[in-house]
Amino acid sequence: MASTKSENNTESKGSGSAKKNTRPRRRPVKARGAKLGGMSGTTIALFTAAAIFALAILGYAGYKVWDKNKPFGEQAAQKIDGVHNYRKEDPKWLTNRHVDGEQTYKVSPSVGGDHNSIWQNCMGDIYTQEIPEEHATHSLEHGAVWITYRPDLPADQVAKLQEKVQGRDFMLMSPYPNLDSPITLQAWGFKLKVDSADDKRIDKFIKAFRKEASVERGAGCSGGNTETGTAPVAAPEGQGMVQQ
Amino acid sequence: MATDATTDAEADEPTDEAAAPQSPPGKWALRGIIALVAIALGFGIGVWVALPNHPGDDSAEVGFARDMSTHHEQAVEMAMWEYKNGSDSQLNAIAYDIATTQKAQVGIMSAWLSKWDVSQTGTEKPMAWVPGGSHMLTENGLMPGMASPDQMKNLRSLTGHDLDVEFCKLMIAHHIGGIHMIDAVLDADDVDSEVRELAEQMKKGQQYEIDVLQNKLQELGATS
Repeated sequence: MASTKSENNTESKGSGSAKKNTRPRRRPVKARGAKLGGMSGTTIALFTAAAIFALAILGYAGYKVWDKNKPFGEQAAQKIDGVHNYRKEDPKWLTNRHVDGEQTYKVSPSVGGDHNSIWQNCMGDIYTQEIPEEHATHSLEHGAVWITYRPDLPADQVAKLQEKVQGRDFMLMSPYPNLDSPITLQAWGFKLKVDSADDKRIDKFIKAFRKEASVERGAGCSGGNTETGTAPVAAPEGQGMVQQ
Repeated sequence: MATDATTDAEADEPTDEAAAPQSPPGKWALRGIIALVAIALGFGIGVWVALPNHPGDDSAEVGFARDMSTHHEQAVEMAMWEYKNGSDSQLNAIAYDIATTQKAQVGIMSAWLSKWDVSQTGTEKPMAWVPGGSHMLTENGLMPGMASPDQMKNLRSLTGHDLDVEFCKLMIAHHIGGIHMIDAVLDADDVDSEVRELAEQMKKGQQYEIDVLQNKLQELGATS
């Protein structure tokens, strides 16, 4: 590639001076021209094309690697307008210990933090009542996207959200009182607030973060709590994985 | 190219006055255009070649890997419930086998999706990767053979013999639907060999389990 470039330069210089020098008897210049006789404009173009061909391959591959090496949440696919990336801020509360009892979360609805040892079932489960945040937070850790909506969201809007959840693992939805926006979406460390179920960013968020945002890759969504309520359920006896 | 070289070489032989008319501004303009076209072509081919040569976001392979993962996850859910709460020891072994095998296969398919540089899930309707796939869906809009939310809720309320029977029924339907999905990917053109291999193994395993579960249903005094 380097040699192509230097020949390229030499040639254009040679031709340039030969062209200016229309007067005869400049034998040395002529000799140089003869030496580069094979390098016509077309040849140069082909060499250049080959070089750019190689550069395009390297450039594309390079871009992909560069993008992939960015932290999760900052890659091209995850750049969605309005998404709050809490992971980038590396907050102290984004921990994942298993704890008993009720928890207070810094972000509401929760986008991560210590949680109950039992996760909320997230096999496309549609909860029509509030669910304990301590369980839902565990589902987020497993890679679920949790859709929450104001209890007074119109039925047709709720139906549209249900369509995005039913039959899809790593999805769950539930009403959530006093939401600061009609609908919000949560993944581990990420949140999106929207006004309508028709907002195109909902699908983008789901595609970018469902399963992908898991911080425990391979963990599932079945076998979790299916009860609604505001307080976490106690772990059944013999399932003592609870750490304080 | 060869012609150009000859022309240049010939032009060098006589005097410079003869060479001069060979390179009027017009000729350089032409060369410039050829060069630009060649550059554009080179760039285009370069990008085309550099594009990853593996199943894309809307391919049958990617659709299959995503949908079959969801399908498998429900089988894992049903089998784990049976493993924990059923009473038939043979079914207990079958449930263990289904849960561990299918969860592992979900992991294999997840690794494919990562390797192919596509997201783990899509937002299309289930079975959108199959021509006419929307006709394969259940009345709940679920993939073939998948239990409805009500059926799952009912399953979770059962234990012992009743669960054994219901598990057999749901799992037979689940496997039959699964085999339809497997056939759909095997029917697709130029299927990735790794996908074909696993799909064929899934089909064989699930066909065998359907027979076993049907026999078990009879033994339990029920029919599908």
